[in-house]
Amino acid sequence: MIPAGRILGGRDTLVNTTVHCDVVVVGSGAGGSVLAERLTARGLDVVMLEEGGYWTRRSFDGREDHSYPRLYQEMGNRATDDQSILILQGRNVGGGTTVNWCTSFRTPRRVLDHWRDRHGVKGLSEEVLAPHWEAIEKRLHIAEWPLERMNSNNKVLWDGCGRLGYSRGLVRRNVNNCANLGYCGLGCPLDAKMSMLVTLIPDAVEKGMTVYANASVRRLLVGTRRVDGVEADLLDPETDRPTGVTLTVKGRTVAVCGGAINSPALLLRSGLDGNGNVGKRFFLHPVVIMSALMPDPVYPWSGAPQSAYSHHFSERGPGKLGFLLEVPPIMPLIAASVFPGFGESHQALLETLPYTQSTIAICHDGLMPDDVGGTIKLRDPSERRVSIDYPLRPFHFEAFKAACKEMARIQFAAGAHEVRSLHARPVRIEKLADVDAAMDAAPWEPGRVRVATAHQMGGCAMGGDPRTSVVDSTLRYHGMDNLFVVDGSVFPTALGVNPQESIFGVARWASQFVAAASA
Amino acid sequence: MDVPHPEPAPAGLSRRSLVKRGLLGGALLAAGGAGFLALRGGTVVALPADGLLVFTPAQFAVLDAVSRRMVRPRKGWPTVDQVGVARAADRIAARVEASAQKELQQLLGLFENGLAGFLFGGRTRPFTRLDGAEQDRVLSEWRDSSIALRRTGYAALRTLVIAGYYQSPTVWPSTGYDGPPAIFGLGPTFPEWRGGDEPRPDGNGVWHGEPLP
Repeated sequence: MIPAGRILGGRDTLVNTTVHCDVVVVGSGAGGSVLAERLTARGLDVVMLEEGGYWTRRSFDGREDHSYPRLYQEMGNRATDDQSILILQGRNVGGGTTVNWCTSFRTPRRVLDHWRDRHGVKGLSEEVLAPHWEAIEKRLHIAEWPLERMNSNNKVLWDGCGRLGYSRGLVRRNVNNCANLGYCGLGCPLDAKMSMLVTLIPDAVEKGMTVYANASVRRLLVGTRRVDGVEADLLDPETDRPTGVTLTVKGRTVAVCGGAINSPALLLRSGLDGNGNVGKRFFLHPVVIMSALMPDPVYPWSGAPQSAYSHHFSERGPGKLGFLLEVPPIMPLIAASVFPGFGESHQALLETLPYTQSTIAICHDGLMPDDVGGTIKLRDPSERRVSIDYPLRPFHFEAFKAACKEMARIQFAAGAHEVRSLHARPVRIEKLADVDAAMDAAPWEPGRVRVATAHQMGGCAMGGDPRTSVVDSTLRYHGMDNLFVVDGSVFPTALGVNPQESIFGVARWASQFVAAASA
Repeated sequence: MDVPHPEPAPAGLSRRSLVKRGLLGGALLAAGGAGFLALRGGTVVALPADGLLVFTPAQFAVLDAVSRRMVRPRKGWPTVDQVGVARAADRIAARVEASAQKELQQLLGLFENGLAGFLFGGRTRPFTRLDGAEQDRVLSEWRDSSIALRRTGYAALRTLVIAGYYQSPTVWPSTGYDGPPAIFGLGPTFPEWRGGDEPRPDGNGVWHGEPLP
């Protein structure tokens, strides 16, 4: 029997150290954790490295000012270079799964078909993924959140869609004994959220995996057609600065699982640019937001964050981005940041927070032939911060405007007294009849309207052709025998739905290829 | 209904040419920290008793001035002095990477600078020397500018100052927010499992069902 592994922090290793294992997994989010658990289940010796810290319910305190710096990339302030898109992305043991809003969708069939038809992806279909999803759904207790437990915030979307005859659905969530608190985004105090932090990571540690938290992998040790391992700077858990200790982990196989921004960055730092494809085709489901003043309190921070959705506008025909409608939880610090204006008007807006409902439109990027998305590039190689460029183009703004109009109609249908778009210069709409004119007159340019993302995909696209993709249909890096990328970065397009379950499924499916290469 | 009027963009000033790399990038921003445009003649404000970690006193004065326009004295709201907004912003900046710190410093320089102000908006006095209404106008000019770089700068500066104020739990009641549920108070009583010889504590995340395929 393999003895249990350990979960170590950045101060637990005091001198430069080299360790050996079968498989090195870089990153502990939805991709890395599922992969690692499957590999340990096959008896492989796995070492996992995670740049973020090990935070658990013991330290979760529900405070935004503590949680964003601890649990999110760049303290919750990650953004595109021009600051036009706010990027919410996890950075901790468990990655995004520790802080996401629990929404679980399987990959839509039409997206998998598109990958097969347009990107040459082979062997990945609903039928192939189904048993993996079933196992994951069982393990993570993924189930529809009942309508009777839906919070007032989501009820606005639910009711508004109902009154307008728009399609609507109940969100499936990965929770067990959930108390409907609403703090999923800041770390669950009950371990009710079935994140990787409390499920598959400890499962794998029980089977012998060792996790190094606060380990920032700086480069892959690249040889000829092979990668020998990785080299990481250990970070101080308190200050997040390098301790000066280097950790080297050598393995028969290396899996890069850092997500759609950090995985391409690591490959680039290691001199692997995939014929110029690494960092390209970066998609982020650009999100626009409408906020509504409701007659009764909705307490938008309270209750399961996402329980209603609408696919009514997910497919809008050729040349147009479809959008999925959902509801975000809103707390004061994030509200102050994304709600527009400053001074008196801004404060007056925030005083209505308990009555403020927000709806989001998640735009499905990457499907149209001319939609190549954004680009991840390095700045100075010594920097951990990377360059994130995502040009917003006319087709984005067409979708943003259409989405803001529809969200306003839904909010008014649900009884809103006033609706506000999140333009930098505030736009307030007092009645339904004004929606179209107000949105047509508003400026639609980068930096003039708040755009955000919590879903990052692409950057290491999988595909059949090494000239246009980074990894093959087994997630192996083209031209390398033992290097894999297993996370949302391999998606050749965005999904049109929240990505965690797609990443779980693809990682679980891909674990067979990584295992075979590690034998 | 309050609808802003779009303004025309001047020729030759595109996002591509101005935002080349970094948070703000480009020569224009670098000019904010350059000698001939160095901060001069700005207002002097009292510094935090425990000093500054990132910003110079002149940069701190700009942050302080911006914070007083971003957050106005209002019944039921703590003041910027009670929260210590500019100090908090300095502490937030202390945790970002050195290159991002430098960009923030340059941004504050450009924002304050009289010559840059003249080029952008026809003012020659430093931002900290303007009265409140003029400062609001300058903030709005950056926000609504046809030059993408200025909108980027506004977003970065606003984010920093807003974070400096709204990070404080003393602001929660002003927004009607009742704070995290009491259950979070139990946090320190829970074990933190780190593997090794310690058995994994039971909990919601432990699988008790049949082995999964």
